[in-house]
Amino acid sequence: MLLGFTGYGQQAEKAVSGTFAHMRFEQFVSQLEAQTNYRFYFDSKAVDSLFVTLQVQNQPVRAVLEQALQNTAFHFAIDDENRVFVSSAGIINPALPGDFFQPKAATATVVQAEEPVAAGPTGRSRLVSASEYKVYEVGAGGEAGSKATLAGHIRDQKTGEPVIGASIYSESPNIGASTDQFGYYSLTLPVGRYDLKVRGVGIKNTKRQVVLRGNGKLEIEVEEDVVQLKEVVVEAEKDKNVSGMQMGLEKLDIKTMRQVPTAFGETDILRVVMTLPGVKTVGEGSTGLNVRGGATDQNLILFNDATIYNPSHLFGFFSAFNPDILQGVELYKSAIPAKYGGRLSSVLDITTREGNKKKLAGSGGIGPLTSRLTLEGPLLKDRSSFIISGRASYSDWLLHQLSDKNFKQSAASFYDVTAHVSHEINEKNSVYATGYYSTDRFRLASDTTYHYTNQNASLKWRHNFNNQLYGVLTGTISHYDYDITSDSNEKTASQLKYAITQSNLRADFSYFPNSRHTIDFGGSSQLYNIAPGSFLPRGDASLVKPDVLAPEKALESALYASDRFDITPRFSLSVGLRYSLFQALGPRDVYQYTPGESRTEASLTDTVRYAAGKVLATYHGPEYRVSMRYSLNDRSSVKASYTRTRQYIHQLTNTASVSPADIWKLSDANIRPQVGDQVSVGYYRNFKNNTIEASVETYYKSLRDFVDYKSGATLVLNHHIETDIINAQGQAYGTEFFVKKLTGKLNGWVSYTYSRSLVQVNAGTPADMINGGRYYPSNFDKPHDFTLVGNYRFSHRFSTSLNLNYSTGRPITLPLAKYYVGNSLRVFYSDRNAYRVPDYYRMDLALNIEGGHKVKKLAHSSWTVGVYNLTGRRNPYSIYFKSVNGQIKGYQLSIFGEPIPTVTYNFKF
Amino acid sequence: MLRTNLALSNHSVPVGLCACLGWLAVLLLSGCTDPYLPAAIKAPPSYLVVDGFINPQGISSIKLSRTYAIGSALAPPPETKATAYVEEENGPRYTLREAPAGTYSSAALALNPAKKYRLHLTTAGGKEYASDFVPDKLTPPIDAITWKFENSEFRVLVSAHDATNSTQYYRWDYDETWEIRPAYDTGLEYTNHALRFRAVPLPRVCWGTDIAKTVQIDKTTSLAQDVVAEHRLRVLPANTERLFTRYSILVRQYALTKEEYAYWDLLRKNTESIGTLFDPQPAQLTGNVHCVSNPAEPVLGFVGAHTVTEKRIFIARADLPAGTDPLSGYEKCIPPEFVSYDVPGETIAQIQERVLGKFDYLPVVEGKHPLTGEIGIFVAVPNCLDCRLRGTVAKPSFWP
Repeated sequence: MLLGFTGYGQQAEKAVSGTFAHMRFEQFVSQLEAQTNYRFYFDSKAVDSLFVTLQVQNQPVRAVLEQALQNTAFHFAIDDENRVFVSSAGIINPALPGDFFQPKAATATVVQAEEPVAAGPTGRSRLVSASEYKVYEVGAGGEAGSKATLAGHIRDQKTGEPVIGASIYSESPNIGASTDQFGYYSLTLPVGRYDLKVRGVGIKNTKRQVVLRGNGKLEIEVEEDVVQLKEVVVEAEKDKNVSGMQMGLEKLDIKTMRQVPTAFGETDILRVVMTLPGVKTVGEGSTGLNVRGGATDQNLILFNDATIYNPSHLFGFFSAFNPDILQGVELYKSAIPAKYGGRLSSVLDITTREGNKKKLAGSGGIGPLTSRLTLEGPLLKDRSSFIISGRASYSDWLLHQLSDKNFKQSAASFYDVTAHVSHEINEKNSVYATGYYSTDRFRLASDTTYHYTNQNASLKWRHNFNNQLYGVLTGTISHYDYDITSDSNEKTASQLKYAITQSNLRADFSYFPNSRHTIDFGGSSQLYNIAPGSFLPRGDASLVKPDVLAPEKALESALYASDRFDITPRFSLSVGLRYSLFQALGPRDVYQYTPGESRTEASLTDTVRYAAGKVLATYHGPEYRVSMRYSLNDRSSVKASYTRTRQYIHQLTNTASVSPADIWKLSDANIRPQVGDQVSVGYYRNFKNNTIEASVETYYKSLRDFVDYKSGATLVLNHHIETDIINAQGQAYGTEFFVKKLTGKLNGWVSYTYSRSLVQVNAGTPADMINGGRYYPSNFDKPHDFTLVGNYRFSHRFSTSLNLNYSTGRPITLPLAKYYVGNSLRVFYSDRNAYRVPDYYRMDLALNIEGGHKVKKLAHSSWTVGVYNLTGRRNPYSIYFKSVNGQIKGYQLSIFGEPIPTVTYNFKF
Repeated sequence: MLRTNLALSNHSVPVGLCACLGWLAVLLLSGCTDPYLPAAIKAPPSYLVVDGFINPQGISSIKLSRTYAIGSALAPPPETKATAYVEEENGPRYTLREAPAGTYSSAALALNPAKKYRLHLTTAGGKEYASDFVPDKLTPPIDAITWKFENSEFRVLVSAHDATNSTQYYRWDYDETWEIRPAYDTGLEYTNHALRFRAVPLPRVCWGTDIAKTVQIDKTTSLAQDVVAEHRLRVLPANTERLFTRYSILVRQYALTKEEYAYWDLLRKNTESIGTLFDPQPAQLTGNVHCVSNPAEPVLGFVGAHTVTEKRIFIARADLPAGTDPLSGYEKCIPPEFVSYDVPGETIAQIQERVLGKFDYLPVVEGKHPLTGEIGIFVAVPNCLDCRLRGTVAKPSFWP
């Protein structure tokens, strides 16, 4: 306990006299306080072995203290309020750091001490705690009863990085705000005196005492929570579960993700996202996410605002994001903010860290298949920083160590590099730039080489107009391409290429008119350029006829506005509207087909040529985003939302899993956009002083016009893909139960989901229909899904994690009978997805060992030792049938069919 | 344990990623494969299967059978006592006669290439089926059957072209034949509890045969000319025993319509790469034959109309390049097993009865063991001596 002793009624400074013989420090201090108007602050535990032996006569306090503390580990500091801070943690500078409080031209500010609060958590540096006891007077001239806006940033005291998603709030009245991606907050309160509490992911809890007299600014620096305690995470979200507006939102920070065991020992953002309720995937080796019954192309994956088209490495065993540079991830699965659009099912917003603004630092890790290295530091101290991080695999090298010749001829390698720079031009303007490059190349025993690349860049300029309004201008470029090269036969040597480039410009504004409204508005426009496929000969001897599909071009624009309105403290409503407009642009030849017939080459009637820049098809429509929250009491609330989304780009894939040869195709005159509607209702309740969060969410979703394929469709190099595509309708519904405990030694979450995802193809001719036009389970329809992620912390250095997963097996189309045609065995299949593979079950265990936490240590290191699939259950990764001497036999391949031990070494310097 | 049908066609672009992924996974991780036989597979449906094509210049032969359990080791159940005919659109009918059971053949026909034809049939159960009318296609001749050793493989390649650019879609099948010479010649047999000289000597040579079991198709639509250049028809290990003495392959070529090509392509995809995450969803494939009374009933098969061209090549041991060393197929038979006659307390007859009477061994020769000098009998399993277990003894008419 930090105790404060206060002197009473002593206005003038007095000198100190007295004899102190082996006196307890606390007693000594109380005598000093009795004689002077100084007040002392110290940690009583820290000084309980400190005794003072001293004789002084009419000496100033400073001199007395110097004598008393010389040859001890303690230091003291006195501020101009006559407060004395005693600690062993180095010389204290009680003056505020220069940027701690930046007076604004228009608002005079004074800092002055009032009664300090005599309680605070132990075990933190005195610098930050000192600022907890200061009283900040902000603004001037506010009349009683009027309102004022307090705004500023919350930053990490050590690295200067903004703290994202931290809450700052007053408990009485209960008004709060949270920091955005820039660490910026804006809080409108009636003028008066407040204890503002600050809670955030990965930071220590703190507070600021503020006397708000008018609009003003308060910059807050907080301490990082060095030990990866889960407490912090909880505190950040503490009552958000109940009081927050958002539903269907899952936030994960990198520290939480680090605790989840993975097959290769490396933190994998997408794998952790898959443990959340409502998120499924077809197989272990796949990073394709199916959110609430949506297809894998219905997720908008943003990496610092730039769209990622292929988020996987090594066929999906790794996600393409280096964990060292990540800040966290937010997954919106029902109430998608109006700001986002363009995909039907979810938004996965991945953000990187900003880099250390104070000093050069690095970190890295060595795992069984990959290694990674990160470097970060200031460019201009406290104002700009950089972070660059790379990761590479040595799977190629491993393959070559194997004796099998096929594997020696194989190659599989990947790497990715991410760089981020942030710069604060002045207090009103900041710029941020991110670059991302990831690439994969593999060749497996065959002579065909696959290669793909993601290239992304984003540039962001943030401008604060005033405390209540700021805007962000963002420009991004996303590029994805792949090529498949075959060189075996010189007459047919060829290369197939595909590329998509998306340039995006957007402006987003946030306006906080008063404490009851938060208004977001803005607009965006993105230009797509797709080279949908080229098949070119390689070498002079190749007979391959060049085949190049005409490029596709389109402009997708949107305007949006939303208002979050706290009607009463208990009832909030968020109303948003997004209006999106899609224009497919020439030059292009558009085929026309006989109306009412199945589209085939035979029903093609006409070709219309559109010149460059001419609009060949326009689609537009409103997207409604409505959500509401009603608090039943402090601990429970009910929320509901309705979301409509429109999607103008489609991933063409004929396989159950995402494959690198998949194509993205734009809507055009013959391919309509997909439209989805989702209604969801949830009940949220916190238990045990907000340490346990529980929720139940139910949703119903209808999906229109997403693409499915006619039997045996050709997706690659198809000049009239619309003849092989059919529009499918889908419906999905489910209920998700979620209980999360993120404090204490034992923490983690449990979720259970019951959900269905059904598809119907009944347009076109009977031959086009699938399963006779009836609803059938989608590839990722797995009704029961149970996940447990648990951590137990033995000490600051040792913790264990347990991961449990159960789900219904995915649907499968089975061979029901065989027959002979053309002298050989053929197979008759069941209706599509009429059966299921065996249920999925897996348990993983990991042990995290942190190195010591000595500040002076050159490098901090940690070890993660884990076992993936502890029970060795042979979950089917793939089920296949093979003909052996005329008998067809089914086999299931389990890629992680045995317990897989991993060791990863991580370091930080 | 791994799937081996990795060969990606060079012409068509691989859409699915085949099982390669499984390969890597199996390798780097402790992947494993287990049998999978769900209950659904145990009660198979029985649908009509129509196999064959209309040959406008020759005998049309159609096989009728039924679908049956995938795990069955039996031959497919034939559909007997049906009536069938080939029908010209708005024209005459040509009756097919059943012989043997389940196979229905026409007389040698000379149909009008300008007309369309279909197959019509009525089963013994009284159900009526018909295929769609299809145009006649004229198949161009096979230009060459070549072979080479490459990448530790023996490859048979087919080349063809159509100067009129009208074929474009090709299908092939083939019959392989090769000579088999058993490891040992024996004059002995053990019958009626006694070792005696063989009444009928075992054959000294047999002929093994095999037929194409995979769909072999190719299209030239992506090429500037209608040329099939060295389509890889048959791939065997470089040391295949089929090349030990003499090997022959008869290749038949069929020109397809685009629809029939699509059918075979789908059939190939469905049968040869199925079920993994990276394979395409299996299609509900039926073909162009329909039940007249119940259009919803699945009928399997595609009846096209096209002529056949064929070509045969022989490869003798002497033709093989230096350094090729085919297996004999009898490596496991050498040396023969030796049973000593010098067993205390057992007579030679008892020893012979114990080895040749009770176990499935055939005598090779009696004599002295080359190392120990013991007297005894050399024996071998029948597969090492009797080549009829590996082929037929009847010399094919085309064999030189």
